[in-house]
Amino acid sequence: MDYANLRRQAASLKRSLFDQGYLDEQFCQVEDLQDEASPNFAEEVVSLFFKDSARLVTNIEQAMEKYPKDFNRWDAHMQQLRGSCFSIGASKMNNECTSFRNSCREENAEGCRRSFQKVKREHAVLRQKLESYFQLLRQAGPARTTAVRSGGK
Amino acid sequence: MGAMGEDQRERMEDATVDKFPEGLRVLAVDDDCVCLNVLEALLRRYIYHPTMAMDAKTALKMLRTGKVKFDLVITDVRMPYMDGFKLLELTGLEMDMPVIMLSVDCDKKVVLKGINHGACDYLVKPVYTNDLKNIWQHDKSRRRSQAISHMGRDNAVDERVHPGTLAMSKDSKNKRNNEYHSNKNTESTHSSTTQKSQGWHGQLSFITSF
Repeated sequence: MDYANLRRQAASLKRSLFDQGYLDEQFCQVEDLQDEASPNFAEEVVSLFFKDSARLVTNIEQAMEKYPKDFNRWDAHMQQLRGSCFSIGASKMNNECTSFRNSCREENAEGCRRSFQKVKREHAVLRQKLESYFQLLRQAGPARTTAVRSGGK
Repeated sequence: MGAMGEDQRERMEDATVDKFPEGLRVLAVDDDCVCLNVLEALLRRYIYHPTMAMDAKTALKMLRTGKVKFDLVITDVRMPYMDGFKLLELTGLEMDMPVIMLSVDCDKKVVLKGINHGACDYLVKPVYTNDLKNIWQHDKSRRRSQAISHMGRDNAVDERVHPGTLAMSKDSKNKRNNEYHSNKNTESTHSSTTQKSQGWHGQLSFITSF
């Protein structure tokens, strides 16, 4: 197994996630919180994020269906999702959440629906990319993760 | 690591009691488990001893039982059933506890609401490492011993915590200021009848009473 190559791939993937705006500096902070006691902290938190955000997305979907034009309710649900996005630095997804909230403010139901589709899409894309990233890190081996961290900043 | 379970929380409480009084005992409250996990790790970085709660009711129970003597509470503003303002109000009425508000919302109205309700600080998500560096200053017992050691000196008044600890200076957070401001007050209003000030105003009067 070419660990150096895997390391490079992980670093390159991470760099592209930053360059394309999928992630912001908060993700670096989450990775920096890894230590000997919690060597997989970042992956665990990200995994928790995707599990929890899937639930929140479902909540929003149900709210939009069950309470048409209840923009306050839709907005409140989206605020929850936004909080989670901030916590791991899910920047692009966060931007779409903000668009949704702006549409709520304008009471623009169609705008909300469009933004929500984008939120779901960004959620799926980010999940796929981060799953690939952590898979590469796992394959590269735990002792080498510290070298990868500097790659994306 | 992972989502907080009851057993894990209790173990953390016990560990906190054993390690007293080395670090600040912080009770952090947020229904967002992702944020709570990150916050816990951040707090541990500064050798604070965090205990986590996912809702205000559980947090109040922990505070009221007194099994762990917390020094500080950090609470999210928006939570289901009981929000951060209500928790702030109740902790202010029942126990003299410094409370820091935490929110994605950087709307000035909400920040002021927190301060007017007696919060000693307001942190905007995402919380950065630096935001937590000085939260120990909100702990009254520590400031009391500081005030005593500085008694008689001219700069004693300057030892109080300034509202400048409000974490509003980051560029990314300022950018958010321009993104979304709600004209409608979607927060449920809590008119605190006592309007008890337990922030720096209270501390100033305490220190000058020496």
